[in-house]
Amino acid sequence: MTDNEATARLTITPGSRIMLWLGNQAPARSIRWLDGALKTAAKFDPNKTGRAIAFAAGGASWLDLVADRARHAGIASAGVTTDLQLDYLGWAQIVAAAARQLGAGTILVDEASRPERWVEVAAIAELLDAAQLTHVVKLAPDKDVIHASRVTGRQLQTVRVRGTAVLGVRIAGAPIDEYPTPMPSTSMQRLQLEMLGVDPLVLGHRSQPPRSHEPKRTVERIAEHLVVHLAPRLGDGAGA
Amino acid sequence: MAAVLVHVDLVGDRPDASSLVALAAGRHVASSWGATLYAAVLVHDPNHANVTSTHDDIAATTMPSVPGLAEAESTLARAGADKVVIAVSRGPIAPLWSAVGNAWRGVVDHLRPRLVLFGADAPSAAELGPRTAARIGARLLLRARASGIDDVELRDRDGGYARIGDGGAAVAMVGRAPAIDAVADDCDVDVVVLAMPGTRDDRIELVTTSPAEIAHASGTVVVLGDDVAGDARVTAAAQRFARMMNAHLVGGAAAVRSGAVSNGAVVDKTTPLAPELCVTIGGAQVDVAGATSVIKIGASASTRVPGVDGVVPGLAEAGITELVKKLEAS
Repeated sequence: MTDNEATARLTITPGSRIMLWLGNQAPARSIRWLDGALKTAAKFDPNKTGRAIAFAAGGASWLDLVADRARHAGIASAGVTTDLQLDYLGWAQIVAAAARQLGAGTILVDEASRPERWVEVAAIAELLDAAQLTHVVKLAPDKDVIHASRVTGRQLQTVRVRGTAVLGVRIAGAPIDEYPTPMPSTSMQRLQLEMLGVDPLVLGHRSQPPRSHEPKRTVERIAEHLVVHLAPRLGDGAGA
Repeated sequence: MAAVLVHVDLVGDRPDASSLVALAAGRHVASSWGATLYAAVLVHDPNHANVTSTHDDIAATTMPSVPGLAEAESTLARAGADKVVIAVSRGPIAPLWSAVGNAWRGVVDHLRPRLVLFGADAPSAAELGPRTAARIGARLLLRARASGIDDVELRDRDGGYARIGDGGAAVAMVGRAPAIDAVADDCDVDVVVLAMPGTRDDRIELVTTSPAEIAHASGTVVVLGDDVAGDARVTAAAQRFARMMNAHLVGGAAAVRSGAVSNGAVVDKTTPLAPELCVTIGGAQVDVAGATSVIKIGASASTRVPGVDGVVPGLAEAGITELVKKLEAS
């Protein structure tokens, strides 16, 4: 049975599904965290009924990678082909629309694979009027409850989650050095923005060009980069 | 008059240091923009009348009984606040949107600020900052800093900015701000005490809190390479750098043997790490998430590592020593 068939056979009760948002670009480094997020989502669907579904947007090669790794993890996948470059609220609008379309009540977000993703957790939650939890490092579904651990500073908070929620996960899979180039996939459920009720022209006001990424190679420029991470000192206002 | 609102976390009974950095940035911006600077603190007093209230609106109320609150007000006044807002929550305070989101939303809706600031390392920032921005449809700046003299603006590393002439609101997580001019110890500040409606979101229930493992570090991690772990000058500079950054200093087996890092801070090249920032010294190899900003110190000039934000080529000792000096002078 293909993922599309599994999706079609699933009787969707609104809010019953678990959707994993993987973003609009491939991971900046290893796909280990992508695999970890997929494996986490698969915990919600041990019988592979199509209840858990990975969702991504972007170019064809990225969507092929998502379909391939989702198939490895044993969960369904859906994707929107688009070349839009959006800010956190723009992507959140697409994810919220997809969650409604796919009947998802719990949304996981892979926070770890790219730097811009974690702030989308809150935006998606706001649009869906859902509870939110960022920086989740452990997660275990247990009937109607999700047991989650999240990091805040040097503390680990253990929480229980019930009902509609958006959870940003940073959970690694197994180390992986190389993987075969994914082939174009037929298993991914293809969605259109219009099908989700999202107008690409309207989304245009949330467009954001991708940031340049030229490594800094002088101590001065690296100090500039690091200075916003310095621990507060007397005179910074902290000691006022 | 426009409002600049700074969320201030209390750690124990004192304002969090990172929140005070945000307040300093807010002072510079508010003075430049002709805005009023509000410092808002969420507090809970189990014996306060608001706890049992069922009102849906925000109302002025009596001062809650919270240890250290008077001293915190004084600190916020000296740190430049024009007005201090004490928002009395019906539920206990925790750095989670589910715990304080309703109360904080009330403050934002009440003041309708043009700019909302959080300390980038403040306990609540990760949960409250982006949600606040999404709620008011604002631009979101991460690790921003205040710059400029007459026309002060906030800028982040990705090209985001907040300026006086902008349309729309902005939310910034502030990483750095210049010191503010001295404020007299006996300065007067307006204090507004508000009873906030709404309770905690029962969908998220905080069960326990415990120390996090190194592998789950979310702030800054400094990784000492085995090749430099036996060099006392490098390890001393690395330890100093880690203290400056409030970072975890980790390393491999050689770093533990040399005493440069503790037993509990061992990582190898397959340990998955996902901090916000990772600085490697020498030939350290780490498996970090794509979300992490990576700086390599003491790497070959020809080093080409995908996704690295900066490389200090040359000897590790010279690189880390010079970097520490630059940061101390900044």
